[in-house]
Amino acid sequence: MSVELLSANHAAATAAILAGEANREAGGFGGGVYPITPQTECIELLCAHDFTKGEVVRVESEHSAMAVCMGFSLGGARTFTASASNGLAYMCENVFSAALYRLPVVMMAANRTLGPPWNIWVDHGDSLMLRDSGWIQFFCEDNQEVLDTTLLAFRLAEDPRILLPVLVNQDAFVLSHTMMQTDIPSQEQVDRFLPPLHLPHQIGDSPVTIGGLDFPHETEVHRKQHAEAMDRVFEVYEEVRREFEEVFGRKPEGPVVPYQLEDADIVFVSMGTTGSTVRTLVDRAREKGIKAGGLRIRIFRPFPGEAIRSALGGAKKIAVLDRNISLGLGGVTWSELKDWAPEGSLVQDYMIGLGGGDIRPEHLESLLEDLQKLEHEMHPKIVEVG
Amino acid sequence: MIQASKGLLYPWEKELCGLTRFCLTATNCGGKSGCLPLAGCGEGYNPEVMTKPLEIRVHGRGGQGGVTCAKLLASFFARVGKSVQTFGDYAGERSGAPVRAFTRVSDQAITNRNKVYEPDEILVLDPTLLSKEVLNGLGEGGRLLLNVPEPRWEELEQRFLRFQLGLVDATGIARRHRIGTRSLVIVNTTIAGAYAKMAGLPFDLVEATYQALGFMSNLEAAREAYNGVQVWEPREWPKEREGLSPGEGRALEKVEKRIESLPAHRLSPPTPLKTGSWKTQQPVYTENLAPCNAWCPAGNDVVGFIQAAGKGDVEEAARILARTTPFPGVCGRVCPAPCMEGCNRRELDGAVQIRGLERWVADQGFDVVPEKAVPPKVLDFGVVGSGPAGLSAAYQLALRGHRVRLYEGEKELGGVLRTGIPSYRLPREVLDREVGKILELGVETETGRFLRFEELEMLARNHEALILATGLQSLRKLEVDGAELEGIEQGIGFLHRVNLGECPELSGHVVVLGGGNTAMDCARSALRCGAERVTVVYRRTRLEMPAIREEIREAEEEGVQLLLQRQPIGFEGNRRIERVLLAEVEMGEPDESGRRRPVVTERVEPLACDHVLLALGQSRDLEVLPESWKVHEQRVSVHGEVLPIFLAGDYATGEGTVTHAIGHGRRAADLAMKELGEEVEVFERPDRARAVPATDIRFDHFDRAAPTRMPVLDPGERVRSFEEVNGGFSRSLEAHRCFSCGHCTRCDTCLVYCPEGIIRRQELGYEVDYSYCKGCGICVEECPREAMEMTQ
Repeated sequence: MSVELLSANHAAATAAILAGEANREAGGFGGGVYPITPQTECIELLCAHDFTKGEVVRVESEHSAMAVCMGFSLGGARTFTASASNGLAYMCENVFSAALYRLPVVMMAANRTLGPPWNIWVDHGDSLMLRDSGWIQFFCEDNQEVLDTTLLAFRLAEDPRILLPVLVNQDAFVLSHTMMQTDIPSQEQVDRFLPPLHLPHQIGDSPVTIGGLDFPHETEVHRKQHAEAMDRVFEVYEEVRREFEEVFGRKPEGPVVPYQLEDADIVFVSMGTTGSTVRTLVDRAREKGIKAGGLRIRIFRPFPGEAIRSALGGAKKIAVLDRNISLGLGGVTWSELKDWAPEGSLVQDYMIGLGGGDIRPEHLESLLEDLQKLEHEMHPKIVEVG
Repeated sequence: MIQASKGLLYPWEKELCGLTRFCLTATNCGGKSGCLPLAGCGEGYNPEVMTKPLEIRVHGRGGQGGVTCAKLLASFFARVGKSVQTFGDYAGERSGAPVRAFTRVSDQAITNRNKVYEPDEILVLDPTLLSKEVLNGLGEGGRLLLNVPEPRWEELEQRFLRFQLGLVDATGIARRHRIGTRSLVIVNTTIAGAYAKMAGLPFDLVEATYQALGFMSNLEAAREAYNGVQVWEPREWPKEREGLSPGEGRALEKVEKRIESLPAHRLSPPTPLKTGSWKTQQPVYTENLAPCNAWCPAGNDVVGFIQAAGKGDVEEAARILARTTPFPGVCGRVCPAPCMEGCNRRELDGAVQIRGLERWVADQGFDVVPEKAVPPKVLDFGVVGSGPAGLSAAYQLALRGHRVRLYEGEKELGGVLRTGIPSYRLPREVLDREVGKILELGVETETGRFLRFEELEMLARNHEALILATGLQSLRKLEVDGAELEGIEQGIGFLHRVNLGECPELSGHVVVLGGGNTAMDCARSALRCGAERVTVVYRRTRLEMPAIREEIREAEEEGVQLLLQRQPIGFEGNRRIERVLLAEVEMGEPDESGRRRPVVTERVEPLACDHVLLALGQSRDLEVLPESWKVHEQRVSVHGEVLPIFLAGDYATGEGTVTHAIGHGRRAADLAMKELGEEVEVFERPDRARAVPATDIRFDHFDRAAPTRMPVLDPGERVRSFEEVNGGFSRSLEAHRCFSCGHCTRCDTCLVYCPEGIIRRQELGYEVDYSYCKGCGICVEECPREAMEMTQ
C-alpha cells in the first residue's frame, strides 16, 4: 500500500494496470484505446505500462477500441478501456455487442457533455445514453472510489454468475483532472482479490462461431439470461464488497449511499460528485432545523429501486438532481426513481449543472427553498449554474 | 494592528514558521518512511490541526504552468502530512487564455469539490491579469503573491494594503534560468519557491518536492525566488476584524437564483468574447535574412529568384538576378556556391542545388536587363580589366545611365572567365551572351593593349573616376633546383593558350602542382590535350584543397590522380624535365587560416614526368601602377591626396572567386558613383550571423527529397573534347526544395494552426484579427520558415 497524489484518471489507470497484472498467469491484460478529453491522461498512463503479459493497442477510433477489447476478452485477457462523450456515441454499436457477448470488459467513462456545440465539461448524458446497453454502471464520488470501484468492477464482471461488462463513471475534470491523495493497494493484495480469469466461452485453438444468427426463440432465452444476470448483481456485489474489505481493509459503499436519511422529510438525490455538495447542504439545513437528507445513487444499472425505496423511508419531498437531460422527458434519474418514491411524496426534478457548471451548496440552498414552497410536482426544471 | 506581522496568519503556521527542522511525513519516523531525510529528521515535528481548510487560487495564462503550480503547492503540503486537493479550471482555450487552478489543504478529508471562490491565498502568474475579478473573494489579510517585474513593485506595494503582499519577478528569474520555450517563459516552479517563503515553508521542503517530482533543473530558479521575494504585511486592518483570521466571518457570495421551469427556459444569446485583450505579445509577419542571401558574395536575392522559379515565373526569377549580377549563366556554372554551404536544407537532406537553378534560369534566355536609369548627371567612368569584377562594375554603372569605357589587354572581353576557365565548364557562347548584354547597355570598349604606368595616369585624367579590376596577374613561382627546365610552365599560361584555342598538344605524364581550381582546370585540360596520365600533387590533405568539391570529383572521374601531402623540392632532367622530387609532408598545428600547417619531412621520392604545370596561386600585380600611386584600403592616393580611383575584385581583395568579384565590382561602382555625388546605396555584404539558423526551421513541415542531379557526360567521352560536362536541369523542380527561410510563401501553416481561426488570407499575405488574437504564439511556433515573430 502506498499513498500518492493521483488524478482520478490515473486512479482508474492504476487500478486497471494492477488488475491486468493480476491476470499475468492466465490471459494477461488487453485493451484497445483511443484518446478523448477528458479521459486521455488515463490511457496515456495505461499505454506507458509494460505489461508482463498482454498489451494496449492504440487504434484509430472508439468503435475499434471496443472491438479490440472484445477480441482480447474472448481470448481470456482481462480487458479495460476508457472513453467519454461523443467517443462513447461512436463506440455505441460495439458497447452493445460487448454486453450481448457477455464479456467482462471494464470501461472508464469520464462523463462529458455531448456536442455539438463542443463542451468538455461534466454531464452524465453520455453514459446514460448507454443505460439500455446491458452494461452494469457505477457513478463515483471521489478519487479513491474510482480506484476501488475499478478493481471491484473486474471481480463483479468476471463472476460466473454475472459475466457482464461494467462501466465505471467519473465526472469530467471534477474527478478526472483533480489530484488527491489516493491509497494504492499492492500487487499482492490485488492478486488475492482478482483470481486469474477463466471465461466459460473463451475462444481457444479450435474454431468456434460466437454471436451468430439468433432466432426469435433463442433471443428470448438470451435476453432472459442477461436480465437474470442483471438481477443477480446486487447479491453478488454484496459478496464482492465483503471480500474487498477483507483484502484491502476498507468497505466500498453499497448501491446507494444514504446521508442523514433516518428522519429526513426532504431528500436530495444525486449521482457522482454532486453527492458531496449535497452533504454540505444537508449539514447547513439541519443547522437551521430542517430535516434534510441525501441519497447518492452509486449503481445506476441495474437500477437499485428496492434499495432506494427502503432508503427514502418516509420522505415527503424528494429533489432529484439530474446532471443530464433526456430531451422530451426530463432528467433520466428522476424518470426512473419516481416509481420507487414513497407513496404520496412529491418528487421534483432539477436538471442542474448541465454542461458542467459548478454546483455549489448555495445553489442547492436555493433549491431547498424552492422545494419547501412547492405544493405539487412541477414540470422538470433546468437550474442554471454555469 | 494584528499580529500578522509575525507571519502567524494561520494557526498551524506557528509550527511551520518556527521550525528549522522539518519532517516530511509528520510521523517522526526518523527517515524510515522512505522519505528524503532532512537535517534534524525525526526530532519531533507535530503539526497542529488546521481549524479550517486552506484554499489557494492560482491565476495564470495558458502555457505558464498555472495548473502545475497549484499541484506543486499541494505537493508541498502533502509532504508534511496534510490532505490536499488540486485541480485546474480547464477551458476550451489554449495558450494565453486566463487559466485558474486551485489547491485545498486540510487536516480533514476534503470533500468540497467546488472551485475556490473565497481563497485565503491568491497567486497571480501574469501581471496583465490583475483585476478586481482576480482578487474576488480574497479576504482582508489574505495572502497575495504577484509575479511582476521590479519597476512596478513600488506602485503595487501601495495598491494592496489590505493583504499580505508578496512581489517577485518570477518571469525574469525563470528567463535567466532558461525555463520554458522559445516563445514562452514558464514561471510555475519559480513562483512556487516565492510562495514557500511567504508561507513559511523551509526551502528543504521545496528541494525535496522538486527532487521527488523530477524538477531539480528548476530548483535554482525557485531558490532565487525564495530568497528574492519581497513581502509586506497587511497595513490596513479594520478594527472590527482584529483577532479574526482571514476569511472568518465573511459573508458568502450571493448566488443568483435562476430556476425556471423547462418550457419557460430561455438561453441567453452567446456574446462574442474578444480574446484579443488577453495578449501580452502579438504575432507579426516579418522578412528575415535567408542564409543563401547572406552567404552570396554577389548580394543576389537567392531565395527570391528560387521562389519565383518555383512558382513558374522564370522571367521574374531572371529579373531578380539581373538586379545584382550580369552573370547568372556564368555563376550558374562556375560559382563555388557559398550559398549552398549556408543552405539550411543541408541539415535535412542536402543543400538546394542553387547553382544549378541559377543556370537553369539563365539558360531559359529571357531578356531581362533592367531599363537604364536617367541619372541627374551623366558621369564618365573608366574601367580597367574586363574580368567579372570589371564587367560587373561596368554593368552597374551603365544601368545607372553613366558613360563607361572598358579597357582590356586581351583581344576579347571576359578576363579570367575567358582565359582561365576551360570551355567544358563554361561554354564560350554563354560567356559571349552575357558579355554581349552588358555591351548592349552602351559600354564602350578598348581591347588588345595592356595599360601601365603613364597610360593609367592618363586614363585617370580622362575619366571622372577609374575602376581598376585587373585581377591576379602575378603568378607564384617555385624557386627550386631545375625550375628552368623545359617542359615546366605556369598553368595559367597553359590554360590561356588552351582557352584561346591554341590547344597545345601534350603527351606522356603531366604533373600539376597545386590544389585549387586552376590546378583542376589544368589537370582536366591536360587530359583533353592528349596527356596519357595526369597527377595533381598537393601538399596538404584532400580536405584542405581549395578547389570546388565537384571539380575534384569530376577530375578524378576523368582519371586524374591525386598525390596528397607531397611538396616539390626540385626538378631533375637533362635540359627537359624528367622527374620531380617530392618530399612527404606531415600535417602540423593549424596556421592563422585555420588549415593545418604542412611540415616537410626528409623522406623524398622522385616522380617521373614529361610536363609540369604550376598552379601554385596568384597575386595582384601592383608594379604596373605609376610610381606615385599609393594603394591604401582599395583606393589610390598621390602625395596623400585620395584620387577617384577604386580597386575592385581580386585586384582589391584577392578573394579569388567569380562571385566575390561580381559583388566587389558592384560595390566599387557604388562607391565611385557616391564619391561623385550620386545618391546611391552602397552594396554591403550581409552579416551572416543575422541569417535564419537551421534550428529555427521546422523540418517536420517538409517532406524529405534528395537534391536533384544533373545529367553529366560520361567521363570517357568527356576527355575527348572541350564540350560542356554538365547538362543542366531540364526543369525547375529543384526550386520546390527551397525552405524559403525567413520569407513567407503563403503556405497557410499559420492560418491552419491558429486555434482562434482569426488569420485570413489577403492579396499579398495574411491579416491577423488582433481583436481576437490572444497572443498564444502557435502561428509563430509553427511557421515552417521563421517568417513570423512575436512582438510586445
